[in-house]
Amino acid sequence: MKIFLNLVSATLKDMLRDKMILFWFILFPVIFMFLFGWIFSGTGSPIHFDLGVVVEGETPLSAALVSSLNAVDVITLHQGTLDDEQDALAEGDRSAVIVLPKFQGEGSVTIPVYYNAAEQTNHILPLMLGEILNGVERMILRQPQMFVLDVQPIQSEPISDVDYLLPGILAMALMQLGLFGSMRLVYLREKRILRSLGATPLPRIQIVFSEIAVRLLIASVQALLIILIGYFVFDVRLAGSWWQIAAAVFFGAAVFVSIGYMLVSFARTEESANGILQIVQFPMMFLSGIFFPLELLPSVLQPVVKVIPLTYLGDLLRGVLVGIPYNYGPSVSLLVLGAWLIVSFSAAVRFWRWD
Amino acid sequence: MVRQLTKKYRNLTAVNGISFTIKQGEIFGMLGPNGAGKTTTVEILVGLRSADAGEIRVLGFDPAAHKEKLHQKIGVQLQMPALFPRLTVGESLKLHASFYPAPFPVDQVLEWIGLADRVKTQTYKLSGGQLQRLAVGTAMISNGDIIFLDEPTTGLDPQARRQMWAVIGQLKAMGKTIFLTTHYMEEAQYLCDRVAIIDHGSIIALGTPEQLISEHFAEKAIELPQVLAEHKESLLNLPGVTRIQADGDKITLYAAQVEAAIRELIQREAAGVLTLSGLSVRSASLEDVFLKLTGRSMRQ
Repeated sequence: MKIFLNLVSATLKDMLRDKMILFWFILFPVIFMFLFGWIFSGTGSPIHFDLGVVVEGETPLSAALVSSLNAVDVITLHQGTLDDEQDALAEGDRSAVIVLPKFQGEGSVTIPVYYNAAEQTNHILPLMLGEILNGVERMILRQPQMFVLDVQPIQSEPISDVDYLLPGILAMALMQLGLFGSMRLVYLREKRILRSLGATPLPRIQIVFSEIAVRLLIASVQALLIILIGYFVFDVRLAGSWWQIAAAVFFGAAVFVSIGYMLVSFARTEESANGILQIVQFPMMFLSGIFFPLELLPSVLQPVVKVIPLTYLGDLLRGVLVGIPYNYGPSVSLLVLGAWLIVSFSAAVRFWRWD
Repeated sequence: MVRQLTKKYRNLTAVNGISFTIKQGEIFGMLGPNGAGKTTTVEILVGLRSADAGEIRVLGFDPAAHKEKLHQKIGVQLQMPALFPRLTVGESLKLHASFYPAPFPVDQVLEWIGLADRVKTQTYKLSGGQLQRLAVGTAMISNGDIIFLDEPTTGLDPQARRQMWAVIGQLKAMGKTIFLTTHYMEEAQYLCDRVAIIDHGSIIALGTPEQLISEHFAEKAIELPQVLAEHKESLLNLPGVTRIQADGDKITLYAAQVEAAIRELIQREAAGVLTLSGLSVRSASLEDVFLKLTGRSMRQ
């Protein structure tokens, strides 16, 4: 045991003095957290439209319409000539332009609305404008309203994009630590350090255990940093208890460490190990839904999504960390991750070569 | 200790039925060119590889079967220095010391290997020679009964090599048995109590350096570095010359009567047949033994 602790301390020093390891496994996730946090904390704000209004003839009716439009929170009005407003629309400064013609006499009036159809949220704008105009119409005609909507949001605290992203970034960091951290064992083998230590009384399996111990340590530092930044800088709400979070983080790290060892055990050199890891990690990152909801992926990819472990680690962490409803449920996730752990561990033991 | 050891790699026989015994407290050298089978032998002796045939006992243990017990009692330096790159010199020695039941103190080993002033340097910043010395240090610190050193001085400058020789001599004085491999004749000659000359996986000569030389050479060697091999035939009839070795563009004459041979050589130079520039006379060495036995120079 004393030998093992000596070895862990040596491994820790050897790893943490490597600035590349510090960068990729500690600094990189932190930078990612800040970057994504800043990018996405803005889009959480409600939908907003810039509406151009062209008034072709000042009448009490047009004034009433303008003030009704003005009363809508999500609309900012810009009044101008038709040419100016259409230019602004073309440049993307307006979501839509509404033209209020000179109102005179009875009969129905055509009100042209031009809108930028490229922006998806703009599609609801014509409906909104129609509803506003209907309201004004009912007021003028003194028609009673037949249906009255009583809108009640059920989620008191809406889930922000950062809430969704934080567990994803943590899952990504754990995956990368697990996968790319396994490169070190290949390095130790290629540099004949394993062979050298193999001629000492040190049992060589202890070298692997000490590598794993150090990486679990780094995993907890990663998790702590990401969670603290999320909590204090981006107001991410935390749902789970500390022990639940810690258990999920360690379990996730263990699964990916094991998968990492399985992958590098198929490689003879450092270069090929790195290649295999890249091939696996890159698609996994985007097909696992850690950065965006899985519904956005085409359905042909869904079977792939359903086997990759990162999907389940992301789901598990989202549920445990911020209380986003599970897609699969914690027991399913634990089961799938556990299966990956067993399979990859066995494969690593079977295929790994010490020299 | 080693009987009929054989190791084959696919279609290459790396070690071909070698046998030898190492006596307690001696420095046993294995001398041979690169690829002769030295490293394979060391790796089998310390249990890192298994032999295909033969019987091996190291300190009474079969290295393949009782690796763990054996490793407690030996110190090993493998050919390529391999240490955690970002541990310091001191930390590396401390780590290795922690593996063994009764290691030497770190400070003492630092002194021996001459790296006391580098104790806080991370190992990847060391020069090749310093790294080599540290690797030898990690073997020494074991305080093992046998210290295996695989080419401990390869890559060292002459001064550092002398220093290493002194350390190895000191270990011997402490009663340690040392098994070392080298491709430097002068090292084997200076350091080793007994030498096994190995080539193509076979031991072609075994004995004390003096034995080996006197067994094969009663003569002195005259080296003519500027004489082409084509003169070989004409030089055979020189008085007192018993053997001629042509090696590239260098000719070595082995002469029982050096003076007579040189007298004749001078006459031939005066006649313009050949040039004597660079001529030197020396006692025969292990290099000559190797050359005689294999027809090749060791450093090629």
